[in-house]
Amino acid sequence: MTSARRKAVVSVGFALLALAAAILLAACGSGIEEPPAEAATGKGNEVEVEAKPSGDLTISNWPYYIDKQTVPDFEKATGVSVKYIEDVNSNEAFLAKMKPLLANGESGGRSLMVVTDWMARKMHELGYLQEFEPAAIPNFEKNLADNLRAASYDPGRDFAAPWQSGMTGLVVNTEKAPDVHTICDLFDPKYKGKVEMLNELRDTVPLVMKCEGVDVEHATEADWLKAIEKIKGAAESGQIRRFTGNDYTTDMSNGNAVAVIGWSGDAVQLQADNPNIEFRMPEEGCILWSDNMVIPVGAPNPTAAEAWINYVYDPVNQAQIEAFVNYVSPVEGTKEVLLKEEPEIANNKLIFPPPSFTKNCSIQPSPGTPKEEQKINQAFNAVLNG
Amino acid sequence: MAALRSRVSAYGLLLPGAFWLIVFFVVPLYFLGRLSLDTNELTYYKFNWHWQNYSDALSLYDTQFVRSFIYSGLATLICLLLAYPLAYAIAFKAGRWRHALLLAVVAPFFTTYLIRTISWVTILSAESPVVEVLEFLHIVNNGRLLATAPAVVAGLVYNYLPFMVLPIYASLERLDTRLMEAAKDLYANAATTFFKVTLPLSAPGVVAGTLLTFIPATGDYVNAEFLGGPGNQMIGNVIQSLYLKQQEYPAAAALSFVLMAIILVVVLIYIRFAGSEALMGEEGMAR
Repeated sequence: MTSARRKAVVSVGFALLALAAAILLAACGSGIEEPPAEAATGKGNEVEVEAKPSGDLTISNWPYYIDKQTVPDFEKATGVSVKYIEDVNSNEAFLAKMKPLLANGESGGRSLMVVTDWMARKMHELGYLQEFEPAAIPNFEKNLADNLRAASYDPGRDFAAPWQSGMTGLVVNTEKAPDVHTICDLFDPKYKGKVEMLNELRDTVPLVMKCEGVDVEHATEADWLKAIEKIKGAAESGQIRRFTGNDYTTDMSNGNAVAVIGWSGDAVQLQADNPNIEFRMPEEGCILWSDNMVIPVGAPNPTAAEAWINYVYDPVNQAQIEAFVNYVSPVEGTKEVLLKEEPEIANNKLIFPPPSFTKNCSIQPSPGTPKEEQKINQAFNAVLNG
Repeated sequence: MAALRSRVSAYGLLLPGAFWLIVFFVVPLYFLGRLSLDTNELTYYKFNWHWQNYSDALSLYDTQFVRSFIYSGLATLICLLLAYPLAYAIAFKAGRWRHALLLAVVAPFFTTYLIRTISWVTILSAESPVVEVLEFLHIVNNGRLLATAPAVVAGLVYNYLPFMVLPIYASLERLDTRLMEAAKDLYANAATTFFKVTLPLSAPGVVAGTLLTFIPATGDYVNAEFLGGPGNQMIGNVIQSLYLKQQEYPAAAALSFVLMAIILVVVLIYIRFAGSEALMGEEGMAR
């Protein structure tokens, strides 16, 4: 090897080491070891409106949460080019993935994300969200369902626009578990090993608290922990087969489970395949929740995101989504549109629940302070991981 | 000069590998180590030599640790018992089918790991023919095979079997068959030949295969997630839950380190016991 080549090898070596050092330094700046930025307050974070939406729009949503036609229709109507990705599978996991970006004021190219109420609240508290410009979303201001207008965490609906709402209750196989009418019935030894619960803290535990007669919207830390203790006993005795995400639908359709805690929209879809499977309103009542469209900090094209919100809040456009997803629509006037086109959907009380149906239901609660939340979360996950 | 030249070029050849290791192993390991000493301040993590994360990792999750080692140990053992005869048959008895059989061992890898595991959920579900037959034979009660420990171990065995078969096959395949003939000439019967000649010479493959199976199986969480129930979760599931669901990064990092350390100790003891000659092969040691 000539000395020139040796020099080249050495300098390549130095270059690689320098690159390694650069990566090391860059990793130091990855936000998670610093206190978060100040929470969004007042108008400081408000989206600025440009005249007309254009350009690219990246949306992060949950799987199977939209029909095939809405995105191309929106593109045609506005000229915005949409990248629609289904990368939200769990609120916690999504936050875990996004946190290092959001803490640095970046959104990884996303202009709109869909997360559940409590996660929208958490992201807002961490200063990760922008507020809407009301003038850009007239349909939202006009057509948002009345019962959703004053969310406890966002009374003015300034940063969270419901995408779909739904109910958490019982999903039962009417042939194999005809007598399950309450959450308490899930603890009946008759169904040992055939019961499943959701691995979502805020769905499963409040329903079990309801079985224990707790007013879930005012539940204390002790109430949460007591319900978790009850679930723990059932998991250890083998009463509960598994804790699941959406995959309880598979276990219901191939007979592994006969009565589970599940979501209303899934039950509508399951019933289409197997008429013996139905959503049952627990006698104790259900848990009501919404998934919300939010605009993250650093969103590249907030104007297009608002155009999207405005578009899906048009009842005609909403009806097209609703006919596919079968959850509860947050848009006033959707039922009227569907009555003409698809009356069996419009008259399904799981999709358009009458107030008498949901009278015992509670808005999805969350543990009080962050410290309590951490403790309750630990206790619940200790049960999940047995 | 020639010696220096060859030394420089040797280091030059090491550079890409070293770069890879530094950037993708040493640097992340440093951050993981630092993170494992953080305290969780709920909205952010603060570095302050919080060694308690380590004692918590051991005291809170000892059940899952023990369970992981039992499951992966069992899976490794079953893999070995299945793989050795299989590799032996492919190497010595398959004749012209050898390549087809090898392909059959590797073929499942053409489908992703996740899909293969989820397929087992369907195969083992309560109303499947498999469970119905087993129930008829009174091996399974109450239509329940999924969400049990045997299902998790079976999943591990299925997923890691090729990692056991291939190294054993490789070491058997290059075995000099004249040695076996010599054993026969010296009046060794088949069993003696196997235990005195074939098995010792294939030890490198066995050691490599057990390590390739045991190490990833211990940290596996996919099989327990899909095939297990609440009482069958492994340490990988706990780490995944701490990272992704509870955002307890420091606890998860500490747990990862403890897992690494235990695996390292177990492997070192194993190699010591099995003899490092076995791992490197005789030629490797001779150099």
